[in-house]
Amino acid sequence: MIDWMAFLIVAGASLLAACLVSALFALGVRLLAVGTEYDDEGRKVSVTGIRPQAATVAGSICFGLCGLAVLFGVYLIVPALHGG
Amino acid sequence: MDFAFIVVLVVLLALVFDFTNGFHDTANAMATPIATGAMKPKVAVTVAAVLNLVGAFLSTEVARTVSGGIVREGEGGVQISPEMIFAGLIGAITWNLITWLRGLPSSSSHALFGGLIGAAVVGIGTQSIDFAVVLSKVILPALLAPVIAGTVAFAATKLAYAITRRSAGPNERGGFRTGQIFTSSLVALAHGTNDAQKTMGVITLVLIAGGFQAVGSGPQFWVIAVCALAIALGTYMGGWRIIRTMGSGLTEVKPAQGFAAEASTASTILASSHLGFALSTTQVASGSVIGSGLGRRGSSVRWNMVGKITVGWLLTLPAAAAVGGVAALIARLGPAGVIIDAFLGLAVIVFIYVWSRRHQVGAGNAIEIDQAGRAVRGRKATAKARKARQNA
Repeated sequence: MIDWMAFLIVAGASLLAACLVSALFALGVRLLAVGTEYDDEGRKVSVTGIRPQAATVAGSICFGLCGLAVLFGVYLIVPALHGG
Repeated sequence: MDFAFIVVLVVLLALVFDFTNGFHDTANAMATPIATGAMKPKVAVTVAAVLNLVGAFLSTEVARTVSGGIVREGEGGVQISPEMIFAGLIGAITWNLITWLRGLPSSSSHALFGGLIGAAVVGIGTQSIDFAVVLSKVILPALLAPVIAGTVAFAATKLAYAITRRSAGPNERGGFRTGQIFTSSLVALAHGTNDAQKTMGVITLVLIAGGFQAVGSGPQFWVIAVCALAIALGTYMGGWRIIRTMGSGLTEVKPAQGFAAEASTASTILASSHLGFALSTTQVASGSVIGSGLGRRGSSVRWNMVGKITVGWLLTLPAAAAVGGVAALIARLGPAGVIIDAFLGLAVIVFIYVWSRRHQVGAGNAIEIDQAGRAVRGRKATAKARKARQNA
Protein backbone atom coordinates (compact mmCIF):
# COMPACT_ATOMS: atom_id res chain seq x y z
CA MET A 1 0.00 0.00 0.00
CA ILE A 2 2.65 2.43 0.96
CA ASP A 3 6.28 1.87 0.14
CA TRP A 4 7.81 2.20 3.60
CA MET A 5 11.24 1.25 2.35
CA ALA A 6 11.23 4.13 -0.14
CA PHE A 7 9.99 6.39 2.62
CA LEU A 8 12.83 5.42 4.93
CA ILE A 9 15.40 5.87 2.18
CA VAL A 10 14.08 9.33 1.39
CA ALA A 11 14.03 10.27 5.07
CA GLY A 12 17.58 9.00 5.58
CA ALA A 13 18.98 10.66 2.48
CA SER A 14 17.33 13.99 3.34
CA LEU A 15 18.64 13.87 6.87
CA LEU A 16 22.15 13.06 5.75
CA ALA A 17 22.27 15.69 3.00
CA ALA A 18 20.76 18.52 5.04
CA CYS A 19 22.95 17.84 8.07
CA LEU A 20 26.07 17.57 5.94
CA VAL A 21 25.48 20.87 4.18
CA SER A 22 24.44 22.67 7.37
CA ALA A 23 27.43 21.31 9.26
CA LEU A 24 29.87 22.28 6.51
CA PHE A 25 28.50 25.79 6.18
CA ALA A 26 28.45 26.21 9.96
CA LEU A 27 32.02 24.99 10.16
CA GLY A 28 32.99 27.51 7.48
CA VAL A 29 31.30 30.33 9.36
CA ARG A 30 32.90 29.25 12.63
CA LEU A 31 36.39 28.89 11.15
CA LEU A 32 36.30 32.34 9.60
CA ALA A 33 35.29 33.72 12.98
CA VAL A 34 38.46 32.32 14.58
CA GLY A 35 40.66 35.06 15.92
CA THR A 36 38.06 37.81 15.88
CA GLU A 37 37.97 39.59 19.17
CA TYR A 38 35.40 41.77 20.76
CA ASP A 39 35.41 44.57 23.29
CA ASP A 40 33.01 44.76 26.23
CA GLU A 41 30.25 46.14 24.11
CA GLY A 42 30.35 43.27 21.66
CA ARG A 43 31.91 45.37 18.92
CA LYS A 44 34.39 43.70 16.64
CA VAL A 45 37.93 44.80 17.47
CA SER A 46 39.85 43.19 14.65
CA VAL A 47 39.32 40.62 11.98
CA THR A 48 42.44 40.34 9.93
CA GLY A 49 45.92 39.49 11.04
CA ILE A 50 44.83 37.39 13.98
CA ARG A 51 43.13 34.57 12.14
CA PRO A 52 45.59 31.76 11.38
CA GLN A 53 45.95 31.03 7.70
CA ALA A 54 44.96 27.42 8.29
CA ALA A 55 41.55 28.53 9.54
CA THR A 56 41.04 30.71 6.48
CA VAL A 57 41.94 27.86 4.14
CA ALA A 58 39.85 25.27 6.00
CA GLY A 59 36.88 27.65 6.13
CA SER A 60 37.12 28.31 2.42
CA ILE A 61 37.23 24.57 1.73
CA CYS A 62 34.04 24.15 3.74
CA PHE A 63 32.28 26.82 1.68
CA GLY A 64 33.65 25.25 -1.49
CA LEU A 65 32.17 21.89 -0.54
CA CYS A 66 28.83 23.58 0.12
CA GLY A 67 29.06 25.09 -3.36
CA LEU A 68 29.61 21.60 -4.77
CA ALA A 69 26.54 20.37 -2.89
CA VAL A 70 24.47 23.14 -4.49
CA LEU A 71 25.84 22.20 -7.92
CA PHE A 72 24.92 18.58 -7.23
CA GLY A 73 21.42 19.80 -6.41
CA VAL A 74 21.25 21.60 -9.78
CA TYR A 75 22.50 18.42 -11.44
CA LEU A 76 19.67 16.46 -9.83
CA ILE A 77 17.07 19.06 -10.79
CA VAL A 78 18.00 19.37 -14.46
CA PRO A 79 17.03 16.12 -16.21
CA ALA A 80 19.24 16.87 -19.23
CA LEU A 81 22.27 16.54 -16.96
CA HIS A 82 21.56 13.12 -15.53
CA GLY A 83 19.93 11.63 -18.59
CA GLY A 84 16.41 11.54 -17.11
CA MET B 1 -21.41 22.78 -27.80
CA ASP B 2 -18.52 23.95 -29.86
CA PHE B 3 -15.71 21.71 -28.77
CA ALA B 4 -12.98 24.19 -29.56
CA PHE B 5 -14.67 26.70 -27.27
CA ILE B 6 -14.50 24.48 -24.19
CA VAL B 7 -10.90 23.58 -24.97
CA VAL B 8 -9.98 27.26 -25.10
CA LEU B 9 -11.80 27.83 -21.80
CA VAL B 10 -9.93 24.97 -20.14
CA VAL B 11 -6.57 26.21 -21.41
CA LEU B 12 -7.28 29.71 -20.05
CA LEU B 13 -8.46 28.36 -16.71
CA ALA B 14 -5.44 26.06 -16.48
CA LEU B 15 -3.21 29.10 -16.91
CA VAL B 16 -5.09 30.91 -14.14
CA PHE B 17 -4.47 27.88 -11.94
CA ASP B 18 -0.79 27.95 -12.91
CA PHE B 19 -0.65 31.60 -11.88
CA THR B 20 -2.22 30.90 -8.47
CA ASN B 21 0.18 27.98 -8.10
CA GLY B 22 3.06 30.40 -8.61
CA PHE B 23 2.07 33.01 -6.05
CA HIS B 24 0.90 30.39 -3.60
CA ASP B 25 4.31 28.76 -3.56
CA THR B 26 6.68 31.74 -3.61
CA ALA B 27 6.78 31.41 0.16
CA ASN B 28 8.22 27.89 0.08
CA ALA B 29 11.50 29.15 -1.27
CA MET B 30 11.58 32.81 -0.33
CA ALA B 31 9.85 33.29 3.03
CA THR B 32 12.92 32.56 5.15
CA PRO B 33 15.49 34.63 3.19
CA ILE B 34 13.03 37.54 3.21
CA ALA B 35 12.49 37.10 6.95
CA THR B 36 16.19 37.21 7.79
CA GLY B 37 16.99 40.01 5.38
CA ALA B 38 19.19 37.74 3.24
CA MET B 39 17.37 39.12 0.21
CA LYS B 40 15.18 42.17 -0.18
CA PRO B 41 11.55 41.11 -0.73
CA LYS B 42 11.38 42.33 -4.33
CA VAL B 43 14.75 40.80 -5.20
CA ALA B 44 13.71 37.48 -3.66
CA VAL B 45 10.49 37.19 -5.66
CA THR B 46 12.30 38.22 -8.85
CA VAL B 47 14.93 35.52 -8.35
CA ALA B 48 12.23 32.96 -7.62
CA ALA B 49 10.24 34.03 -10.70
CA VAL B 50 13.26 33.75 -13.01
CA LEU B 51 14.18 30.33 -11.59
CA ASN B 52 10.60 29.13 -12.01
CA LEU B 53 10.60 30.36 -15.60
CA VAL B 54 13.88 28.58 -16.35
CA GLY B 55 12.82 25.48 -14.42
CA ALA B 56 9.63 25.09 -16.45
CA PHE B 57 11.64 24.64 -19.63
CA LEU B 58 13.93 22.01 -18.15
CA SER B 59 11.71 18.98 -18.06
CA THR B 60 8.41 17.53 -19.27
CA GLU B 61 8.70 14.28 -17.34
CA VAL B 62 5.94 15.06 -14.86
CA ALA B 63 3.67 16.58 -17.52
CA ARG B 64 3.66 13.30 -19.41
CA THR B 65 2.48 11.33 -16.42
CA VAL B 66 0.14 13.81 -14.79
CA SER B 67 -3.01 12.28 -16.22
CA GLY B 68 -2.17 8.75 -15.11
CA GLY B 69 -2.91 7.35 -11.70
CA ILE B 70 -5.69 8.82 -9.66
CA VAL B 71 -8.44 9.04 -12.25
CA ARG B 72 -8.93 5.69 -13.96
CA GLU B 73 -8.99 6.08 -17.69
CA GLY B 74 -8.05 4.37 -20.88
CA GLU B 75 -9.47 1.12 -22.21
CA GLY B 76 -12.46 -0.22 -20.33
CA GLY B 77 -12.18 2.77 -18.06
CA VAL B 78 -13.78 6.14 -18.31
CA GLN B 79 -13.26 9.09 -20.55
CA ILE B 80 -12.47 12.24 -18.63
CA SER B 81 -14.10 15.06 -20.55
CA PRO B 82 -12.87 18.64 -20.95
CA GLU B 83 -15.95 19.76 -19.00
CA MET B 84 -14.79 17.74 -16.02
CA ILE B 85 -11.28 19.13 -16.17
CA PHE B 86 -12.86 22.57 -16.40
CA ALA B 87 -14.93 21.94 -13.28
CA GLY B 88 -11.94 20.47 -11.46
CA LEU B 89 -9.84 23.53 -12.23
CA ILE B 90 -12.55 25.82 -10.85
CA GLY B 91 -12.41 23.83 -7.61
CA ALA B 92 -8.62 24.02 -7.44
CA ILE B 93 -8.43 27.75 -8.17
CA THR B 94 -11.17 28.59 -5.69
CA TRP B 95 -9.45 26.68 -2.89
CA ASN B 96 -6.05 28.17 -3.75
CA LEU B 97 -7.49 31.68 -3.53
CA ILE B 98 -9.31 31.01 -0.26
CA THR B 99 -6.18 29.61 1.40
CA TRP B 100 -4.16 32.53 0.05
CA LEU B 101 -6.65 34.98 1.52
CA ARG B 102 -6.24 33.25 4.88
CA GLY B 103 -2.45 33.22 4.44
CA LEU B 104 -2.29 29.45 4.63
CA PRO B 105 0.43 27.56 2.78
CA SER B 106 -1.41 24.64 1.22
CA SER B 107 -0.48 22.28 -1.55
CA SER B 108 -1.59 23.43 -5.01
CA SER B 109 -1.24 19.87 -6.28
CA HIS B 110 -3.66 18.62 -3.65
CA ALA B 111 -6.11 21.33 -4.66
CA LEU B 112 -5.77 20.25 -8.28
CA PHE B 113 -6.21 16.56 -7.43
CA GLY B 114 -9.14 17.40 -5.18
CA GLY B 115 -10.88 19.45 -7.84
CA LEU B 116 -10.43 16.76 -10.47
CA ILE B 117 -11.56 14.03 -8.09
CA GLY B 118 -14.72 15.96 -7.19
CA ALA B 119 -15.53 16.60 -10.84
CA ALA B 120 -14.89 12.95 -11.75
CA VAL B 121 -17.08 11.64 -8.92
CA VAL B 122 -19.99 13.84 -10.01
CA GLY B 123 -19.43 13.33 -13.71
CA ILE B 124 -18.75 9.61 -13.71
CA GLY B 125 -19.32 8.19 -10.26
CA THR B 126 -17.25 7.02 -7.32
CA GLN B 127 -15.99 4.02 -9.26
CA SER B 128 -13.85 6.43 -11.30
CA ILE B 129 -11.63 7.10 -8.31
CA ASP B 130 -8.99 4.73 -7.09
CA PHE B 131 -9.21 5.50 -3.39
CA ALA B 132 -6.29 3.26 -2.50
CA VAL B 133 -4.12 5.36 -4.81
CA VAL B 134 -5.49 8.57 -3.30
CA LEU B 135 -4.60 7.29 0.17
CA SER B 136 -1.11 6.08 -0.68
CA LYS B 137 -0.13 8.89 -3.08
CA VAL B 138 -1.85 11.89 -1.57
CA ILE B 139 -3.07 11.51 2.00
CA LEU B 140 -0.27 9.52 3.65
CA PRO B 141 2.55 11.49 2.00
CA ALA B 142 0.78 14.66 3.19
CA LEU B 143 1.03 13.40 6.77
CA LEU B 144 4.60 12.17 6.39
CA ALA B 145 6.08 15.17 4.53
CA PRO B 146 6.06 17.65 7.41
CA VAL B 147 7.26 14.96 9.81
CA ILE B 148 10.31 14.08 7.69
CA ALA B 149 11.11 17.70 6.84
CA GLY B 150 10.56 18.82 10.41
CA THR B 151 12.87 16.16 11.84
CA VAL B 152 15.55 16.88 9.25
CA ALA B 153 15.37 20.64 9.83
CA PHE B 154 15.41 20.16 13.60
CA ALA B 155 18.62 18.13 13.38
CA ALA B 156 20.26 20.46 10.85
CA THR B 157 19.44 23.54 12.95
CA LYS B 158 20.76 21.97 16.15
CA LEU B 159 23.94 21.05 14.32
CA ALA B 160 24.44 24.48 12.77
CA TYR B 161 24.00 26.21 16.13
CA ALA B 162 26.18 23.75 18.01
CA ILE B 163 29.05 24.24 15.58
CA THR B 164 28.89 28.02 15.53
CA ARG B 165 28.48 28.46 19.29
CA ARG B 166 31.41 30.35 20.81
CA SER B 167 32.47 30.40 24.39
CA ALA B 168 33.55 34.04 24.29
CA GLY B 169 32.10 36.92 22.37
CA PRO B 170 28.97 36.94 20.29
CA ASN B 171 28.28 34.12 17.86
CA GLU B 172 28.74 35.30 14.31
CA ARG B 173 26.01 33.81 12.25
CA GLY B 174 25.33 36.57 9.75
CA GLY B 175 27.30 34.59 7.15
CA PHE B 176 24.41 32.20 6.88
CA ARG B 177 22.50 34.92 5.02
CA THR B 178 24.72 34.41 1.98
CA GLY B 179 24.15 30.66 2.16
CA GLN B 180 20.40 31.18 2.32
CA ILE B 181 20.43 32.77 -1.13
CA PHE B 182 21.74 29.53 -2.61
CA THR B 183 19.61 27.05 -0.73
CA SER B 184 16.38 28.96 -1.35
CA SER B 185 17.23 29.41 -5.04
CA LEU B 186 17.62 25.66 -5.28
CA VAL B 187 14.13 25.22 -3.84
CA ALA B 188 12.73 27.73 -6.35
CA LEU B 189 14.36 25.94 -9.28
CA ALA B 190 13.09 22.56 -8.13
CA HIS B 191 9.62 24.07 -7.83
CA GLY B 192 9.78 25.40 -11.38
CA THR B 193 10.72 22.04 -12.86
CA ASN B 194 7.86 20.37 -11.02
CA ASP B 195 4.82 22.57 -10.69
CA ALA B 196 4.53 24.25 -14.07
CA GLN B 197 4.46 20.77 -15.55
CA LYS B 198 1.22 19.90 -13.81
CA THR B 199 -0.54 22.61 -15.78
CA MET B 200 1.25 21.57 -18.95
CA GLY B 201 -0.02 18.05 -18.32
CA VAL B 202 -3.61 19.24 -17.85
CA ILE B 203 -3.54 21.39 -21.01
CA THR B 204 -1.98 18.57 -23.01
CA LEU B 205 -4.62 16.18 -21.70
CA VAL B 206 -7.36 18.49 -22.95
CA LEU B 207 -5.71 19.02 -26.30
CA ILE B 208 -5.43 15.27 -26.74
CA ALA B 209 -9.03 14.75 -25.64
CA GLY B 210 -10.08 17.43 -28.13
CA GLY B 211 -8.23 15.70 -30.91
CA PHE B 212 -5.85 18.63 -31.44
CA GLN B 213 -2.85 16.54 -30.58
CA ALA B 214 -1.76 12.94 -31.08
CA VAL B 215 -2.43 10.53 -28.21
CA GLY B 216 0.66 9.90 -26.12
CA SER B 217 2.57 12.95 -27.34
CA GLY B 218 4.21 15.38 -24.93
CA PRO B 219 3.34 19.03 -24.38
CA GLN B 220 3.81 21.34 -27.35
CA PHE B 221 6.29 24.17 -27.16
CA TRP B 222 3.72 26.96 -26.91
CA VAL B 223 2.09 25.12 -23.99
CA ILE B 224 5.43 24.91 -22.18
CA ALA B 225 6.10 28.58 -22.87
CA VAL B 226 2.77 29.96 -21.66
CA CYS B 227 2.81 27.72 -18.57
CA ALA B 228 6.32 28.89 -17.73
CA LEU B 229 5.27 32.52 -18.12
CA ALA B 230 2.11 32.08 -16.04
CA ILE B 231 3.89 30.45 -13.11
CA ALA B 232 6.75 32.96 -13.25
CA LEU B 233 4.33 35.88 -13.26
CA GLY B 234 2.44 34.35 -10.35
CA THR B 235 5.67 33.83 -8.43
CA TYR B 236 6.70 37.42 -9.07
CA MET B 237 3.39 38.72 -7.73
CA GLY B 238 4.34 36.91 -4.54
CA GLY B 239 1.73 35.49 -2.21
CA TRP B 240 2.73 37.96 0.49
CA ARG B 241 0.11 36.71 2.92
CA ILE B 242 1.62 33.23 2.79
CA ILE B 243 5.15 34.63 2.91
CA ARG B 244 4.16 36.41 6.11
CA THR B 245 2.87 33.16 7.61
CA MET B 246 5.90 31.11 6.65
CA GLY B 247 8.46 33.83 7.41
CA SER B 248 7.15 35.12 10.70
CA GLY B 249 3.82 33.50 11.56
CA LEU B 250 5.10 30.04 12.45
CA THR B 251 8.24 31.06 14.27
CA GLU B 252 10.80 33.84 14.21
CA VAL B 253 13.47 32.93 11.68
CA LYS B 254 17.19 33.70 12.19
CA PRO B 255 19.85 33.34 9.47
CA ALA B 256 21.43 30.04 10.56
CA GLN B 257 18.00 28.61 11.22
CA GLY B 258 16.69 29.81 7.85
CA PHE B 259 19.69 28.27 6.15
CA ALA B 260 19.11 24.94 7.87
CA ALA B 261 15.39 25.07 7.02
CA GLU B 262 15.97 25.73 3.33
CA ALA B 263 18.77 23.15 3.15
CA SER B 264 16.34 20.63 4.63
CA THR B 265 13.58 21.62 2.22
CA ALA B 266 15.92 21.30 -0.77
CA SER B 267 17.35 17.96 0.41
CA THR B 268 13.96 16.47 1.19
CA ILE B 269 12.39 17.56 -2.11
CA LEU B 270 15.34 16.35 -4.17
CA ALA B 271 15.51 13.06 -2.29
CA SER B 272 11.77 12.51 -2.65
CA SER B 273 11.71 13.24 -6.37
CA HIS B 274 14.74 11.04 -7.09
CA LEU B 275 14.22 8.15 -4.72
CA GLY B 276 10.60 7.59 -5.58
CA PHE B 277 8.46 8.89 -2.78
CA ALA B 278 6.72 12.04 -3.97
CA LEU B 279 6.16 14.74 -1.36
CA SER B 280 4.46 18.12 -1.60
CA THR B 281 6.87 21.07 -1.71
CA THR B 282 4.56 23.20 0.41
CA GLN B 283 4.24 20.62 3.15
CA VAL B 284 7.96 19.94 3.17
CA ALA B 285 8.76 23.66 3.37
CA SER B 286 6.28 24.28 6.19
CA GLY B 287 7.59 21.26 8.09
CA SER B 288 11.15 22.54 7.73
CA VAL B 289 10.30 25.97 9.12
CA ILE B 290 8.54 24.39 12.12
CA GLY B 291 11.39 21.93 12.70
CA SER B 292 14.01 24.66 12.54
CA GLY B 293 11.99 26.72 14.99
CA LEU B 294 12.02 23.81 17.43
CA GLY B 295 15.74 23.34 16.87
CA ARG B 296 16.89 26.85 17.70
CA ARG B 297 17.33 27.49 21.37
CA GLY B 298 15.21 30.37 22.61
CA SER B 299 12.77 30.34 19.73
CA SER B 300 9.17 29.33 19.99
CA VAL B 301 6.75 27.80 17.54
CA ARG B 302 3.27 29.28 17.35
CA TRP B 303 1.27 26.11 17.62
CA ASN B 304 -2.10 27.73 16.97
CA MET B 305 -0.78 28.79 13.56
CA VAL B 306 0.49 25.24 12.99
CA GLY B 307 -3.00 24.03 13.89
CA LYS B 308 -4.64 26.39 11.39
CA ILE B 309 -2.31 25.22 8.63
CA THR B 310 -2.96 21.58 9.46
CA VAL B 311 -6.71 22.13 9.25
CA GLY B 312 -6.12 23.83 5.88
CA TRP B 313 -4.23 20.77 4.66
CA LEU B 314 -6.90 18.38 5.82
CA LEU B 315 -9.58 20.46 4.11
CA THR B 316 -7.71 21.00 0.83
CA LEU B 317 -8.69 17.76 -0.87
CA PRO B 318 -12.35 17.55 0.23
CA ALA B 319 -12.99 21.28 -0.17
CA ALA B 320 -11.52 21.48 -3.67
CA ALA B 321 -13.41 18.27 -4.48
CA ALA B 322 -16.67 19.78 -3.23
CA VAL B 323 -16.28 22.92 -5.34
CA GLY B 324 -15.15 20.84 -8.32
CA GLY B 325 -18.15 18.56 -7.84
CA VAL B 326 -20.64 21.42 -7.72
CA ALA B 327 -19.05 22.97 -10.81
CA ALA B 328 -19.30 19.60 -12.58
CA LEU B 329 -22.95 19.36 -11.57
CA ILE B 330 -23.66 22.76 -13.12
CA ALA B 331 -21.60 21.89 -16.20
CA ARG B 332 -23.92 18.94 -16.79
CA LEU B 333 -26.61 21.39 -17.84
CA GLY B 334 -24.75 21.62 -21.13
CA PRO B 335 -23.21 24.68 -22.78
CA ALA B 336 -25.23 27.02 -20.58
CA GLY B 337 -23.88 25.21 -17.51
CA VAL B 338 -20.30 25.68 -18.60
CA ILE B 339 -20.91 29.37 -19.17
CA ILE B 340 -22.58 29.68 -15.75
CA ASP B 341 -19.52 27.93 -14.27
CA ALA B 342 -17.17 30.30 -16.03
CA PHE B 343 -19.05 33.32 -14.68
CA LEU B 344 -19.25 31.90 -11.17
CA GLY B 345 -15.53 31.18 -11.27
CA LEU B 346 -14.81 34.70 -12.45
CA ALA B 347 -17.08 36.09 -9.74
CA VAL B 348 -15.19 34.14 -7.07
CA ILE B 349 -11.84 35.44 -8.35
CA VAL B 350 -13.05 39.04 -8.45
CA PHE B 351 -14.74 38.77 -5.05
CA ILE B 352 -11.66 37.34 -3.35
CA TYR B 353 -9.46 39.94 -5.02
CA VAL B 354 -11.68 42.81 -3.87
CA TRP B 355 -11.88 41.27 -0.39
CA SER B 356 -8.08 41.01 -0.24
CA ARG B 357 -7.73 44.74 -1.00
CA ARG B 358 -9.31 45.58 2.34
CA HIS B 359 -6.21 44.44 4.19
CA GLN B 360 -3.43 44.62 1.71
CA VAL B 361 -0.27 42.63 2.32
CA GLY B 362 2.59 43.42 -0.01
CA ALA B 363 6.35 43.45 -0.31
CA GLY B 364 6.55 46.37 2.10
CA ASN B 365 4.63 45.02 5.05
CA ALA B 366 4.77 41.24 4.72
CA ILE B 367 7.48 40.70 7.31
CA GLU B 368 9.35 42.89 9.72
CA ILE B 369 12.83 42.10 8.70
CA ASP B 370 15.41 40.85 11.14
CA GLN B 371 17.73 43.67 10.02
CA ALA B 372 16.10 45.84 12.67
CA GLY B 373 17.35 43.48 15.35
CA ARG B 374 20.90 44.14 14.34
CA ALA B 375 20.53 47.87 14.67
CA VAL B 376 19.37 47.63 18.26
CA ARG B 377 22.01 48.20 20.91
CA GLY B 378 22.84 45.55 23.43
CA ARG B 379 22.33 46.08 27.15
CA LYS B 380 25.89 47.16 27.86
CA ALA B 381 25.97 49.54 24.92
CA THR B 382 22.71 51.12 26.06
CA ALA B 383 24.05 51.62 29.57
CA LYS B 384 27.20 53.21 28.21
CA ALA B 385 25.28 55.52 25.93
CA ARG B 386 23.11 56.60 28.84
CA LYS B 387 26.17 57.34 30.92
CA ALA B 388 27.68 59.34 28.11
CA ARG B 389 24.49 61.40 27.85
CA GLN B 390 24.47 62.10 31.57
CA ASN B 391 28.08 63.20 31.54
CA ALA B 392 27.55 65.53 28.64
